[in-house]
Amino acid sequence: MTLELFNNEFHVITGQLKSYLLRITASVPDAEDIVHDTYVKAASKLDGFRGESSLKTWIFTIASNIAKDNLRAQKRWVENVSDICREEAMSNPAFFGEAMHIRATSPHGAFEIREHITFCFTCISKSLPLEQQLCIFLKEVYEFKIGEIAVILNTTEAMVKYYLHTGRAKMIHIFDGRCSLISKEGICHQCSELNGIFNPEQKFQEELVKIEMARAAESADKETLLDLRMKIVQEIDPFESGASELQLHHLEHNRNVMEKYV
Amino acid sequence: MQNGKATTEKKTFSRETSVSIDIQSDPAIIWKLLTTAQEYPRWNPTVISIYGEIAKGNKIKLKSALDPKRVFKLQVKEMDDGKKLVWGDGMGTRVYALNGNGRGITNFAVSEKIGGLMFPLFASQIPSFDSSFEQFALALKKEAESIQSLSK
Repeated sequence: MTLELFNNEFHVITGQLKSYLLRITASVPDAEDIVHDTYVKAASKLDGFRGESSLKTWIFTIASNIAKDNLRAQKRWVENVSDICREEAMSNPAFFGEAMHIRATSPHGAFEIREHITFCFTCISKSLPLEQQLCIFLKEVYEFKIGEIAVILNTTEAMVKYYLHTGRAKMIHIFDGRCSLISKEGICHQCSELNGIFNPEQKFQEELVKIEMARAAESADKETLLDLRMKIVQEIDPFESGASELQLHHLEHNRNVMEKYV
Repeated sequence: MQNGKATTEKKTFSRETSVSIDIQSDPAIIWKLLTTAQEYPRWNPTVISIYGEIAKGNKIKLKSALDPKRVFKLQVKEMDDGKKLVWGDGMGTRVYALNGNGRGITNFAVSEKIGGLMFPLFASQIPSFDSSFEQFALALKKEAESIQSLSK
């Protein structure tokens, strides 16, 4: 493969790669650094690319290896990350001041419930063991096949299936106990709280019925509700969406809080 | 027996319960389920909790649904990757064994032998393991086959 062809292909998948890395690291600088390091490493090893997998799979393999090296040195987050970060935000007037400024001035500063669902998924997923988190994103959001994920993570298809199954089971358990959008027993109402702060004129329930997962909450089974949640994640680019700047600001806050907490 | 039905052999100084079942799953999946302590309560109704890492020489604390008030302090005595796991205490030893047939079916067998010189004195107070072993084997089969059947 020529460098020119590689550059073209890399450019095409950069958006997906960057969003994947953001979602597993919860850090914009880390995601950007790893994209850069991946490019350098892949370009320098281009002669070693034999086409046994797709170029996209090969690039995600390099990126995942770099990310895993970084993430293994860090502790995993906790299931109640939202509660802990909410408390910190409430005691930090600067946080809401910055957020309101972004909301008022940025073209990417809207608050949207779907965006917050995606943000929340990213945060909660960081409480899973790393392999489970990577498998879930690679399969359910970035649509790699199980065999491709086995290549990317240098493991077997059997283990990918195990990580996917256990990761999904944990995410279902966590959201079922926490998310008031899908469960009457859910203890987290952060979507409606933040919507009230950032969109005071908006009627939350009217917004909610626009979201398939919320509409299906009473009739669908838990697996389906998780699939619908991940469909939302899949549809949103965390760097380009209308709410990206506000959500990235929120994510940076949560990351700082979690780094001190865990 | 490979049908998931437990059998118990009683002797004066010991008692041994066994069960075996065929599972349509890669042995690696079954092995991972058997050796990941924190996952047990999610798929196995016979286990309330296991604390500690299941690794050779390690001590683990197990709470069984059979006797929820008691914490069994067990030592992992043997781990032959993907094939055999043994844990136990001074009173008994439990052996898990996996045998893949290479055609997608793995036979899972578990047996536990308890006993000793004092065994006849308290044998009548120890509940039967049969039902618990059958539940264990069926739950493992269900979970492993569910994982194996994930679409590509």
